[in-house]
Amino acid sequence: MGYARFLVTKTASYVLALFASVSLLYVGIYPSLQKVIQGSANEAASDFQRTLIKDHSGMSLAQVTQAVATYKATYLNGFGFNQPFPIKFSLQIVNLFEFHLGSAYFLQAPNGSKQVLDIVVAYLPNTILLFTTGTLLVVAVGALLGLLAARSAGGMLDRSVPIIAVVHSSIPAFWIGFILIAYFAYSLNILPSGGISSVPPPAGLLPNFADLMAHMTLPLASFFIVNVGGFAYIVRSLVVSTMGEDFVTTARARGMTERRVLFKHVLRTASPSLATQSILAVAGSFGGALTTEVVFRWPGLGRLTFIAITQNDLPVIIGSTFVLTIILFLGLYIGELTYGFLDPRIKTGD
Amino acid sequence: METQSTDRSYLREFLKSKSGVVGVVMLVLLIATSLYVIIAIPQSEAYKWQNPAAWQGNPTSVPPAWVNYFGVDAPQTVDLSLNSWAGSSSSSSAAYSASVSFTWKHGVPPSNLLVVPNFSGNAYEVDVIWTKPDGNMVQIGLSSPVSGIGYDLTTASIRQGLVQYIQSQTHTLIESVGPAGELAALFNDDGPNILNSSVQQGTYIVTVQVVGNQALSLSNSKVTLLGDSYGTMGTDSEGRPIDLGVLAGLPWGLEIGVLSAVVGVVGGVFWGGLAGFFGGWRDKLLSWGMLVGIAIPSLAFIIAISYTFPLTLLTEALLIAVFSAPFFGIIARSVTLSIRSQTYVEADKAMGVSAARTFFTHFLPRLTPVTIAFTALSVSAGIIFGETLAFLGIEPANVITWGGILNDAISFDASVHGWWWWVLFPGIMIIVSSLPFVLVGFALDRVVAPRVSAK
Repeated sequence: MGYARFLVTKTASYVLALFASVSLLYVGIYPSLQKVIQGSANEAASDFQRTLIKDHSGMSLAQVTQAVATYKATYLNGFGFNQPFPIKFSLQIVNLFEFHLGSAYFLQAPNGSKQVLDIVVAYLPNTILLFTTGTLLVVAVGALLGLLAARSAGGMLDRSVPIIAVVHSSIPAFWIGFILIAYFAYSLNILPSGGISSVPPPAGLLPNFADLMAHMTLPLASFFIVNVGGFAYIVRSLVVSTMGEDFVTTARARGMTERRVLFKHVLRTASPSLATQSILAVAGSFGGALTTEVVFRWPGLGRLTFIAITQNDLPVIIGSTFVLTIILFLGLYIGELTYGFLDPRIKTGD
Repeated sequence: METQSTDRSYLREFLKSKSGVVGVVMLVLLIATSLYVIIAIPQSEAYKWQNPAAWQGNPTSVPPAWVNYFGVDAPQTVDLSLNSWAGSSSSSSAAYSASVSFTWKHGVPPSNLLVVPNFSGNAYEVDVIWTKPDGNMVQIGLSSPVSGIGYDLTTASIRQGLVQYIQSQTHTLIESVGPAGELAALFNDDGPNILNSSVQQGTYIVTVQVVGNQALSLSNSKVTLLGDSYGTMGTDSEGRPIDLGVLAGLPWGLEIGVLSAVVGVVGGVFWGGLAGFFGGWRDKLLSWGMLVGIAIPSLAFIIAISYTFPLTLLTEALLIAVFSAPFFGIIARSVTLSIRSQTYVEADKAMGVSAARTFFTHFLPRLTPVTIAFTALSVSAGIIFGETLAFLGIEPANVITWGGILNDAISFDASVHGWWWWVLFPGIMIIVSSLPFVLVGFALDRVVAPRVSAK
């Protein structure tokens, strides 16, 4: 019962938040979005004109021009052009959520499509692959490091966790990528310098997988190096502060082993805040993951955005920002649900 | 009186932290350097930075000069001025010439050759006669030269003259030759193997002849042997000195970091502080607002928005602040919640003290230390965020940023070519400028954190 209620309120607040942030984005890009829609309308209209002429539809030139003009007007009407702002706003937001992202100025999807949606969909899986793997790795290893550091307070590990946290806070993710490439790809020449697969890709499932892993190692490593320290530091502080609580002293006084105290009492109590912190860490590291893609020429949305910036391809920038917003929301939402599932207080409805 | 002594003990405890003190010292040095840069490097340098022609006199993509101390033979730029012009002019023709000699003791040629004729009037032709130590002469010519323009090895007529010389040595037809081959023609041992032989060491004589149809006044003409190393940090592929860029980027980096941190943290502390203080529906609303802020992919958002509203230092800092404030809001909210349950807050409530007064007397003072610690930490986050945006190509117009230099580095494949100086120094500057804030922030955090929970 408790979890169901949690589910409903969380879902409602996330859906509303997604709506709010897309509205914010909309306001922030309003003038450029109108330009993009206008451009897409022109593109669609000229496509339509071409088909009409190619199909020998038996129409005269004047009729074709007329039909194209009507087509374009209908297209623009669908986006609420020449309508008061509230109607325009709602129509265009609905269009965004239906992924009508328009057509790109210059870029193309691998299948040749100029539709922004097709381009973004082609790049999206690679971002999810890299970012999800990286995040899982950081959360798992970071939590472990933080726990071990908290357990051996004052020891070697405990003293080095703040140092890696300093590294985390003062080195840009993309720059670590440069250094790793210079060393492992060009100096030692043992790992590929970028991309997602060799050219040509090796035959067979297993060699293909190994090839992917080799290409993923360095981007993952730079994401990991930059993010693990900060997370371990947070885990350590949380665990240390929980260890000072009275119930921990009581548990120790009852003669429990240190390991049991740590895992049964400290960790269980700290885990909701840990989950919250992981959610924050995921949100905070997202931008870094995108720039890592740029350095390693990893064909994900970060690199797509970079290419779009260099070519001034505004529709692609807007489309990929919108899709990134949805992806991050989904990621955080799933994290929140998992957290709710783990937290006993929510299950019992406290 | 009591708060004063608390502040003093904060300071005492902070000074105990070695890393914190190191951070403060670094910070003072950074600010001093930054002030020096603001005074010594005028804004016009930023315009010049975007103008490739301004850097023609520098060698391109060469390492710092100090690599010479590490066993690398990397000669530096040599300017050969042509001063003593001799010649004659009549009513219909004029010819002048000047010579200069230099001794080359390096095992490698320079990276490029730049001929800069300087004259007033109309010149038909500039000829350079290059006499090598073995006495062989190479002749290159420039037809209808423009005064004050530098002609280097990519100039077609110079390349043509050098190809002819190589052909005269190898007795084979050469279709094309790169800068390395052109330098071989000028510097290598002659013979059929000229393209692969070693550099001739000794005295070279460069004679420049200028021919015109009327009397010319010649001055300041020069031939420059562009070096294989430059300055303290080398140059990029346009010949721009990295050390200048690295220095010029400092004030902007600090400004964007400090501005975004102060606005973001103060905003976030009020945001979260008020949420925790009010509780109830206002807390729910404010916390939901934080969720919106956190779940927005800020980097992509700012990029998209920058296409609508061109960025300036101020707008960029504000945007970064808006998207970082929720992260601090969450922390401030949890601190506030722990203060809320204290007895003195209950007492205020019982005595009918106004909510605003309670907030300003009890909550804000206890939020202040956290605020200061997080501002310090947030400056580094702001610097890195600003440089990351610049690295992606989003930066205000006419500023020099380290991210922008690194953007050029990746565009020109610096790591593929092994131009390490182009990548290393801007990156180190990002670290050096954000590190003191991190050190101070962590030290403050350690001083502040136990107090907050103890109170």
